[in-house]
Amino acid sequence: MTGHARIVRRSIAGLLLAGATVVSAACGSPNRAGSGSTPPAGQKSAPTRGGSIVGSVRADPASFNRLVAADRTSELVSVLTQAKLVRVNKTTQQVEPWLAESWTADRDGRRYTLTLRRGVTFSDGVPFTSDDVVFTFAAVYDAKVDSVLADAMTVAGRPMEVVALDPQTVSIAFAAPFGPGVRILDNLPILPKHKLEPALQAGTFAKAWTTSTPPADLAGLGPFVLHEYMPGQRMVFDRNPHYWRTTTDGAALPYLDRLTVELIPDQNAEMLRLDAGQLDVMNEDLTPDAYGQMKQAARDGRIQLVDIGTAIQADSFWFNLKPGAFDGDPRAGWLQRDELRHAISMAVDRKAFIDAVFLGAAEAVYGPTSPSNKDWYWTGTPTVPYDPARAKALLASIGVPPGARFSVLVQRGRPRFERGAAFIRDELKKVGLTVDVVALEGNAVVQRLLKARYDAAYFAPTITDTDPVNQQDFFMSAGPFHLWNMAQAKPATDWERHIDELMQRQSASTDAAERKRLFDEVQRTFVEHEPVIYFAARHLYVAVSSRIAAMKPADDLFPVLWAPDEIAVRR
Amino acid sequence: MRGYILRRLAFALFLVVAVSSASLILTELAPGDYASGALGMRARPEAIERARERYGLNRSLGEQYRDWVAHAVRFDFGTSLLYDRPVRELIPERAANTAVLALTALAIATLVGLPLGVVSGSRSGGAVPHVIRAASVVLLSMPPLLTSLFLVFVAARTGWVPIAGMRSAAVPEGGAFVDLLKHLVVPAAAIALPLAAMFERLQAQAMRDAIVQPFVVATLARGVSRRRVVWRDALKVALRPVAAVYGLVVGTLLSGSFAVEVITAWPGLGRLMLDALGARDVYLVAGCAGTGAVFLACATLASDVALAFVDPRVRE
Amino acid sequence: MIRRVGIALVALWAAAAMAAPVLAPHAVDAQFVDLQNAPPSRLTMAGARIAIHPWRLVNRLEQQYAVDDAIAVPLRWFSGGHLVGSSDEARAPLLLLGTDAYRRDVFTRLVFGARTSLALAAVSALGAMVLGAAAGGVAGYAGGGVDDVLMRTADFVMVLPAMYVALALRAAMPLVLAPATVFALLASIFAIVGAPFVARGVRAIVRSERRMDYAVAAEALGAGAGRLLLRHLLPAARGYIAVQLTLLVPAFIVAEATLSYVGLGFPDPVASWGTMLHDASANVRVFADFPWLLSPAAAMFLVVLGLNLALEGSPGGLRYDTPR
Repeated sequence: MTGHARIVRRSIAGLLLAGATVVSAACGSPNRAGSGSTPPAGQKSAPTRGGSIVGSVRADPASFNRLVAADRTSELVSVLTQAKLVRVNKTTQQVEPWLAESWTADRDGRRYTLTLRRGVTFSDGVPFTSDDVVFTFAAVYDAKVDSVLADAMTVAGRPMEVVALDPQTVSIAFAAPFGPGVRILDNLPILPKHKLEPALQAGTFAKAWTTSTPPADLAGLGPFVLHEYMPGQRMVFDRNPHYWRTTTDGAALPYLDRLTVELIPDQNAEMLRLDAGQLDVMNEDLTPDAYGQMKQAARDGRIQLVDIGTAIQADSFWFNLKPGAFDGDPRAGWLQRDELRHAISMAVDRKAFIDAVFLGAAEAVYGPTSPSNKDWYWTGTPTVPYDPARAKALLASIGVPPGARFSVLVQRGRPRFERGAAFIRDELKKVGLTVDVVALEGNAVVQRLLKARYDAAYFAPTITDTDPVNQQDFFMSAGPFHLWNMAQAKPATDWERHIDELMQRQSASTDAAERKRLFDEVQRTFVEHEPVIYFAARHLYVAVSSRIAAMKPADDLFPVLWAPDEIAVRR
Repeated sequence: MRGYILRRLAFALFLVVAVSSASLILTELAPGDYASGALGMRARPEAIERARERYGLNRSLGEQYRDWVAHAVRFDFGTSLLYDRPVRELIPERAANTAVLALTALAIATLVGLPLGVVSGSRSGGAVPHVIRAASVVLLSMPPLLTSLFLVFVAARTGWVPIAGMRSAAVPEGGAFVDLLKHLVVPAAAIALPLAAMFERLQAQAMRDAIVQPFVVATLARGVSRRRVVWRDALKVALRPVAAVYGLVVGTLLSGSFAVEVITAWPGLGRLMLDALGARDVYLVAGCAGTGAVFLACATLASDVALAFVDPRVRE
Repeated sequence: MIRRVGIALVALWAAAAMAAPVLAPHAVDAQFVDLQNAPPSRLTMAGARIAIHPWRLVNRLEQQYAVDDAIAVPLRWFSGGHLVGSSDEARAPLLLLGTDAYRRDVFTRLVFGARTSLALAAVSALGAMVLGAAAGGVAGYAGGGVDDVLMRTADFVMVLPAMYVALALRAAMPLVLAPATVFALLASIFAIVGAPFVARGVRAIVRSERRMDYAVAAEALGAGAGRLLLRHLLPAARGYIAVQLTLLVPAFIVAEATLSYVGLGFPDPVASWGTMLHDASANVRVFADFPWLLSPAAAMFLVVLGLNLALEGSPGGLRYDTPR
């Protein structure tokens, strides 16, 4: 047959294959039992090129420079326009080659040699080389930049040593043996040296790429390029014609021609827009209250409702365990005791909690990881029975007086937490504890937590990765996110010291089984002292419009947009 | 008259300075600051301290304020901590959006509310005044949040007008201006309806007071028609209380009704102010509050001047 | 006649508020398991008695309920300290206006909320009236520099967003606030914030009235400033102040919910109409599926209408017409 026909046949086959790959990935996440996303309704053919979708966020981005901006919208812009050396696939939780096409490790896991993909160019056509990698790391560690990502890119407290061996090869050395290896590189988007080096050398990198930067001055390795930004209204992204990624057959990605991100501060308005067909992807997963309406819309065929399983961590309830925080307070004798927390865990009926707060769409959880975190969940996590009588006895045994009272801090305007705290308050009343739920404004809550001026708090810190390597700041006593007693100079208790040691060993070990064993031990110690009480991990539902023909929904900060190059619409 | 205006301008300037300063100081006194809010709970205390130093937030309140004033007199209102752009640039674009919305709503509310108030204040019997009164009370009892949400809901269900935002992503046929008008419907209605109700109530009461005055009876006795008496002679007097508060209303409207702007995703000043307060962006907060004061001062000045024309007795 | 209707409406709500513990079938924080956002109880006549048919949960996540016609629990009057209740709370509780998102009885919270909201609005409105009338009266009477200072102060108070003040104020307060403290704080803030609107209108009226014959005459007869203001000039602003009252009352009730965003709201489970409406608007299904959650808006409407009718009476209107 003619060359032309052969090409056409191969392209169709390639598209079908790509489509099948995408659909099967969307259909099943092998690590999540009992969940599995519902395949898009009516999906019959492979994803086709072209089309556009509309997504939404709540607030304007603080900056287009991901190294200095930590807000959610800036992260989305980075996900859409930039790329990293490796990527953690959120549906499988496995590391995938990305800009680095392969890597080797030396024997003790301290030095990795990464081979970068060939022929990759930035969105402005300039070739991507190892110089850009070295440059990005230099920027992250630069003192004048004071990057928000610097902490995430340190191992054993020291920065990595990054050397370009040749234009296609990079060597990365850790200060100590590092088990997770290249997984940590999923945190750092690679920036263009040719655009930003002058700023770094002049010491103005932190001010580079603010939101008033003209889109033509930006360049990235991601699937989209910023076309237009209208402050307060929307950001428009066009397909990056130089995007390096292709389907397994060779057809170019992304599928979409255009991706518009609207700025919609109100969740109700966002849902109404989705229902009316003016929006394709929502900002985050659905609240339980919204489920009913979305289910009806799904029945009518206006939207697709996707179930992505249970969240990897539950909402957190903890006490202020800073030594000396309650000096002079008559409650000091019992407010920081382990037994108090154990009693509270026993006094709350988790089944009723799930019904009241999540309308039944959640799973009871008793430790820092939830069962849906298949790779790391400690299967020996003891189930705490609902036993108010035992709770009362336990409270009496540590001298909790009748009419004992403490306050719980929550953030105003977040119904999930206000309801959860209200439920906990009502349950604890039955065992003789009086709880005052104090709902404060966002920044006021953060301030009190940072200054350790509170009794207890109920909050949901975001976890970005299932692997403990990205949760060091929570488990380590010196970690800034060690909620109950942040950033300790040295461990305040023996068990925290024990967890510190285990986490360090776990981080240094290159043996996966050993790492799992050590982290199980961390969880055991954690559950024994219960510095944070967990009640339930919510079930995640995502609503998208019926136009979306292909996507990979997963439990991530951006349930659908985390994999933007593989989203396709019906044509 | 000229002395009066000059005095008012001087006071207006003072007002702007006072309001901006008070907002800046109050935001500094509020718990937390930009550095801890932006970096969040996950950041190390040292990193937050370094950020504070970079932004100059670790200086004393007095020092920060003096620095701000020193720049403000040269019309440099600082750089927004949140957006890293000069406050001087950020505000006008948002203020213009709010002005479009506010003035549209004001026009609708005036054209609807005032005449209805005249009617309900001048009729002595019949169902009409009662119906108007009931409608006004309904609108006044609904919180703005609920009214906006309801209108958005109706827009979503009927599909007649866009649900939210100010402009469409792609300019449709019909042109940009028509597109803007369509987007204006929901937010302007959300602001205009309660406002019209307020105008109606005020105007009705003022008309009721004016209509019992002796000069009205006298004019009628001279043979002037009822319609003319109501809509010309009595109205001139009845407009005074409304004119007195009109400037107030315009001024506060222009600062942006943030509930409506949030629900309808209108990129205006009210939303900016709310975001700035949440982030503790002191310079942006001061700028927004100052802008609000400018609007209020201009609007009240204009309304007082208008009042002076309408009521010559006030003109001393 | 109309005035009486108005007074009756307001009195009715005031009485309901005061009699809340008796009128409401339940406690303000009583919760009903498996009944979240449930519709009002279905009532039927069973012979001569009224009976309740309970709701059964059909689908929890979608919040769907179905009436259980098989069970009919009769009402019980004048028992347990309540006017009316169900004779078997466990099987079929009396939920006259359904339940809210926290599974609490909306009707109970409505009448208890009347206490909080009406008391707060009344005290705040009174405060705003007194402050505003005083400031406006003095400004309109004295004129000149005093007038300028007072009016510019009023402008300052108006344009400074109350949110900023409330946020800073909240930070200075202890973490846990008693409802009484919150009430006092809110009433003060509302009175101060509401006064400028009253002041401006009163000032304009006093200024023009001051030059009227009766005022000049009174002055010539030796009336001092105070007497002139209180007996002659301020009463002329009576109508305006009355209208302002009907504008301020609903605004204050709603503003309580707004200020709760900076932490200055009534702590859960104190019921207030502002917060009830705010929670209702958090759920976009409220208009189509849960309209009973909007009952505080209807209640507010009745109160404001009553106020309006009571203060303004029948529409005055032009009693005369041109002779034909």
